[in-house]
Amino acid sequence: MLLTPNAMSRRMRFGLYTTTGLIALFLLLPIVFIVLLSFGSSQWLVFPPPGWTLKWYGQFFSNADWMDAAYASLKVAILTTIFAVALGLPTAFALVRGRFRGREMLYGLFTLPMIVPLVIIAVAVYALFLKLGYTGTMFSFVVSHVIVALPFTIISIINSLKLFDQSIEDAAVICGASRLQAIFKVTFPGIRPGMVAGGLFAFLVSWDEVVLSVMMASPTLQTLPVKMWTTLRQDLTPVIAVASTLLIGLSVLVMVIAAALRRRNEVSA
Amino acid sequence: MSAVIQDTAEQGKTLVSLRNLNKHYGDFAAVDNISLDIKDGEFLTFLGSSGSGKSTTLSMLAGFETPSSGEIQVNGQSLVNVPPHKRDIGMVFQRYSLFPHLSVRDNIGFPLDIRKQASAERERRVEAMLKLVQLEQFAHRRPSQLSGGQQQRVAIARALVYEPRILLMDEPLGALDKKLREDLQDELRQLHRRLGITIVYVTHDQEEAMRLSQRIAIFSHGKIVGLGTGYDLYQNPPNAFVASFLGNSNFLKLKAQGNAVAMFEGQPLSIRLTSSLHTDQDVLLMVRPEKALALSMKQAASEPLPAGWNEVAAKVTEVLFLGESLTCSVVTAGGTAMTVKALSAGGMPLSAGDQVKVRWAASDACVYTQWAESDLNKAAGAH
Amino acid sequence: MKMTAASRQPTPAASAPSAAGEAQGKAKVMKDSTSLAQRWRGASNLVPALLFLGLFFFAPLIGLLLRGVMEPVPGLGNYEQLFANSAYARVLFNTFSVAGLVTLFSLLLGFPLAWAITLVPRGWGRWLLNIVLLSMWTSLLARTYSWLVLLQASGVINKALMAMGIIDQPLEMVHNLTGVVIGMSYIMIPFIVLPLQATMQAIDPMVLQAGSICGASPWTNFFKVFLPLCRSGLFSGALMVFVMSLGYYVTPALLGGAQNMMLPEFIVQQVQSFLNWGLASAAAALLILITLVLFYFYLKLQPESPVGSSNAR
Repeated sequence: MLLTPNAMSRRMRFGLYTTTGLIALFLLLPIVFIVLLSFGSSQWLVFPPPGWTLKWYGQFFSNADWMDAAYASLKVAILTTIFAVALGLPTAFALVRGRFRGREMLYGLFTLPMIVPLVIIAVAVYALFLKLGYTGTMFSFVVSHVIVALPFTIISIINSLKLFDQSIEDAAVICGASRLQAIFKVTFPGIRPGMVAGGLFAFLVSWDEVVLSVMMASPTLQTLPVKMWTTLRQDLTPVIAVASTLLIGLSVLVMVIAAALRRRNEVSA
Repeated sequence: MSAVIQDTAEQGKTLVSLRNLNKHYGDFAAVDNISLDIKDGEFLTFLGSSGSGKSTTLSMLAGFETPSSGEIQVNGQSLVNVPPHKRDIGMVFQRYSLFPHLSVRDNIGFPLDIRKQASAERERRVEAMLKLVQLEQFAHRRPSQLSGGQQQRVAIARALVYEPRILLMDEPLGALDKKLREDLQDELRQLHRRLGITIVYVTHDQEEAMRLSQRIAIFSHGKIVGLGTGYDLYQNPPNAFVASFLGNSNFLKLKAQGNAVAMFEGQPLSIRLTSSLHTDQDVLLMVRPEKALALSMKQAASEPLPAGWNEVAAKVTEVLFLGESLTCSVVTAGGTAMTVKALSAGGMPLSAGDQVKVRWAASDACVYTQWAESDLNKAAGAH
Repeated sequence: MKMTAASRQPTPAASAPSAAGEAQGKAKVMKDSTSLAQRWRGASNLVPALLFLGLFFFAPLIGLLLRGVMEPVPGLGNYEQLFANSAYARVLFNTFSVAGLVTLFSLLLGFPLAWAITLVPRGWGRWLLNIVLLSMWTSLLARTYSWLVLLQASGVINKALMAMGIIDQPLEMVHNLTGVVIGMSYIMIPFIVLPLQATMQAIDPMVLQAGSICGASPWTNFFKVFLPLCRSGLFSGALMVFVMSLGYYVTPALLGGAQNMMLPEFIVQQVQSFLNWGLASAAAALLILITLVLFYFYLKLQPESPVGSSNAR
């Protein structure tokens, strides 16, 4: 018997759990390490650090370049989230509710940006915006981010739409609501978990996006990952550790929000 | 019990009228040329197994499906091009379909909000509905905090609050356990009597259909194969399919010898007077198990066969005790299996292997001249 | 569908010159157009996203692919160059061997983790799963940077190994393919664990009990029953990781060296440093082709369609 731990021999179980523990530590190592380093006093990233300090945070927050980049990142991520959800919503409805042929193929088409290597999307979109003269604009950032965020919103909205019992919407219609009223008053509240999850995914994708952003960036407009990228290539200053910690912090925050929302839904459902 | 309400079913004029209604999906006819009049104030049930077309017909009434051809009229006016939200029909769905994000009160108030009802009037009507379904103290709860039976009552209240002309119910009690289902069936019957609303009810449960409705329409393969009160459909099924679908039945294959006599395994039996039978025509005889008697050889010898009764010799294969009743399975010399049912209070002093005489009154047996072999299997009827 | 196919065939009545025939013909045309509307019911909602992707994703992508056969001169010159030049062939070799190694290592590390998550009590399993999700969703750049610092010559790992006396000289673990493989294996573990764990969770423990009742030893049970049951999860996870590894840019660019490039870096370099769009596009086309072919196999392994009509009425 292999699937119940008590039936496994003690040695085998010990071996498996030790291995697992080590792998879990391996997964956590770089994350914990970078957060610790951001508080370390060594300029040369010596570990364990000779002392603890907040001076790198001071440097980060007093540097206009870093602050501008962080602000731009936030702006791009929020706009990306809004547009990805707005585009993903009708698409998910068509793919789940539509009764036309080729829905499978269209679904594949819409998830293609998730599969085609980012580098290629980046180069292709870069070529287009180069021609149009849009590189280095907020527009080019948001558009390129929406391309890769869209599959995430479509997929999570599709998942919750498939779970949503359509007869609830029909019930609203038979109660006198027009189809559109029913969708707004009943279906949207019903699929809110999927919409929120899709939005969070879109936010995280945009917040962390490097390849597209590096291509779209200009000296006047860059996101936090771009600023990190360019700085990284020159030296490994601990300020990057600060930026990393902030990126991680926001990701964790978004994950916690998502988990809290999921729990609330489980309780109320 | 159906006999009690039978008289009320005959009253009233036609409210809804389905004319040659069809629904095709490609080559497949889900609803095949149905015509039906639904009377004002009646409780009509669509009974059939899944895929028989009953739910599709209901969906077309509600407006969620568009007929491929045919006409649906209410009070003489066509409904076909009226969108569902303007049909003024109430509907209770299979899985209740309450709005999960709204409280019980707001669920019931939803149709009134959509109709922009003034708030005082809205409150009054919602209160009245909460009272009707006895959920006053649950008004603030969310649907997920209610039991299945309570949810169903909310769904009914929501469907009734705007006083629709017609209430459609799509297997609304299917998800509940047996006891609760029976309670709600009683409530529903009382509600119908009190409000006088027209109810079209869909179910696959024949007992439920009998318990609730004044008339039953039996669906099979997209057609209505039987229409009438539960009593009539059970006692005098219009065809072999209805006979085998409703309750249990014994089928005997006979060869006609005249209009009132037919041969069964070389023995003449009297049958109901049936016109235009010709000699050696195949005839199907249907006897309900509870209409037949099984007598031991001794009993049979002491009790002479009454006039107008038939008697067939058979051998007992099994006797089953089912609580209030007993069933006795027998097989005739020619290999025809029959079942005889009796109240256990009456007793049936038989055991497997006994030779018996099976008797029934010729007037209790139905005669069919046309049938398909598949009609004789229970659970047929779906595509 | 059969119905419309039949109605397209010219019927004798419709081809007859009589008025009745004409009317019937018209009715047929009408029926066709309504069935067309029926067939595309609900499809109009696709328009905004299709327009967006068409304009900003498909058009540029096709544009890019066309450049491979148009620039600098029309023809297949870029492709010839890509395969003929030994330096470029080296790039292809690097790409595939790194992707293969990364898949292997992430499988080796991901399998026990996925297994343990299914075995341990639920609370613990949830924590392990949270760790996996955390590492998946925290900034890629931050994690790569962290590895850069960890693996460098004066980094913690080298120091620890030297302090333990295992090595005398710092190992060169960054700015070469070793660094790339370590960093990418780390990044890909979640993509193995998640599908694999879902597969393992779905295995009925009774099947394994049945296996041992039938006399299988734990090892036979593992190899003959458990592993085959995990196969779909293993394959789809591995294929996904392999495909993703082929197209990864950030980690190889930071942890790898200048002389041992992979295909994505090569593409960016051709575009940014040499402005050689033709060659970049040929390489991109090759990468897309490989990706799509592998992804096709990945889809074949998936048990059900994602948009399947589960709520069809």
